[in-house]
Amino acid sequence: MTTTQARPAARQEIGDRVAAVLPVLREHARRVDADASFPTAPLEALRRCGLMGLLVPTAHGGLGGGLDDLVRVAAELSGECLSTGMIWAMHCQQVAALAVHAGPELRAGLLPRLAAGEVYVASVTSEKVKGGHLLSAHAPLRREGGRVHVDRDAPIVTGGSDADGFLITMKDSESAQPAEVSLVYADRAQLTVTHAEGFSWDPMGMRGTHSGPLHLSGVVSESAIVGGAGGFREVALRTFVPVGHIAWASCWLGAARGALRAVLELVRSPVGRKQFALDSDLLRARLARVRLDLDTTAALLAQVVRDTGLAPDPEAPDVQLRLNGLKVHAAERSFAVVDTLIEVVGLRHGYLRDASLPLERLFRDLRSASLNYANDRLLGANGALVLVDRGVGLAL
Amino acid sequence: MEENAFDAVLRRHLKNLPEGAELPQDAPLKKFGLDSMQAVELLFDLEDELGVVLPDEMMTGDTFATAESLRRAVDDSAVGTS
Repeated sequence: MTTTQARPAARQEIGDRVAAVLPVLREHARRVDADASFPTAPLEALRRCGLMGLLVPTAHGGLGGGLDDLVRVAAELSGECLSTGMIWAMHCQQVAALAVHAGPELRAGLLPRLAAGEVYVASVTSEKVKGGHLLSAHAPLRREGGRVHVDRDAPIVTGGSDADGFLITMKDSESAQPAEVSLVYADRAQLTVTHAEGFSWDPMGMRGTHSGPLHLSGVVSESAIVGGAGGFREVALRTFVPVGHIAWASCWLGAARGALRAVLELVRSPVGRKQFALDSDLLRARLARVRLDLDTTAALLAQVVRDTGLAPDPEAPDVQLRLNGLKVHAAERSFAVVDTLIEVVGLRHGYLRDASLPLERLFRDLRSASLNYANDRLLGANGALVLVDRGVGLAL
Repeated sequence: MEENAFDAVLRRHLKNLPEGAELPQDAPLKKFGLDSMQAVELLFDLEDELGVVLPDEMMTGDTFATAESLRRAVDDSAVGTS
């Protein structure tokens, strides 16, 4: 991820920063869920502790972290509050795209501000006409006197009301094909941001990831185009998509691990020992399954991190199969883990909204995982890829 | 291999190539909307309609980069199977 000479922050140092913010996430998690409000205080803590710049190279004042650091931090944060973890992880996805693909002028101006926690970047990739098709765009850039005009409806932007900057996909020009997509960075101050009237946000789960429709318009310089004109495809295949899937999977896995930690805390406590028969074969088999789900997801995640660092061809079928498969598997198994744990601890600890364990909230939160870039679509893609990988190229 | 059959199959999968417009042999097919998933569908159609079998190791970005590179791959595999 980084090409700098300076030493990246050590794992221990990053761990200390995480440890400092976890109590803030823990304190606000219940309130963020109850009110469906953006986690402003947790995000403020993340800004102050330097983690918003985890993936910014040290030469630009960041922590110089890599994808393995992203995985660990996203999982820890999401173990306390999955909404906050996802908001942070998606910000890191934008930072990764900027750190790798932005030109020198944008890097010099923006990366130090990202490192300082001044800029929380939201992602604008969906469009009404195309749904979730990441690699096409319809709203065109207009160029005038060396400046680039952005004018775009965005049907859903996570954290759009609180973002300080936006990474926006646009068709490269009026005459370009929808597949010629440019990725444009704009500071909030460069844009007129209009919120849609009468929009309400009241979802089943992930209630802190306050999302809604926006209209963005403004003027930026040509240097704000990340990865060159029409270059989003390369940014997406090399960085944006793999980092996105890795980030999501880390968050879901971390939330499911948080659920198991909470259950183990309960059943091993003196009070829990009186309620739960730890020598029950059924209980042990359920816990074994849960743990196996976490371990297999973690193993696939580690492999996709390796693939992303090494693969010379990000479109190779086996690389694509694992990348798509990670998203599907993490979504399915993290939800299944929480479902099983609710079975283990029963109604009182698992189903009541005011139970001390967060299982009820996590069950609602993780229900979104299969829908967030739909598993069905990824399985359709993987089914086709299986057919053209007759050698079944496993990562052995 | 019949030139026209190859072109007809290829053009069907280039959703951003207007009907009747010329397809430059060295232009990136991605520009005309061929992503990696459509490349799979294109491969199946080429195999069905031209009676060729492409080896799996040809399923790379380079093979599907341009009409020219894809035609070469199809020609090579036609020779290999005859």
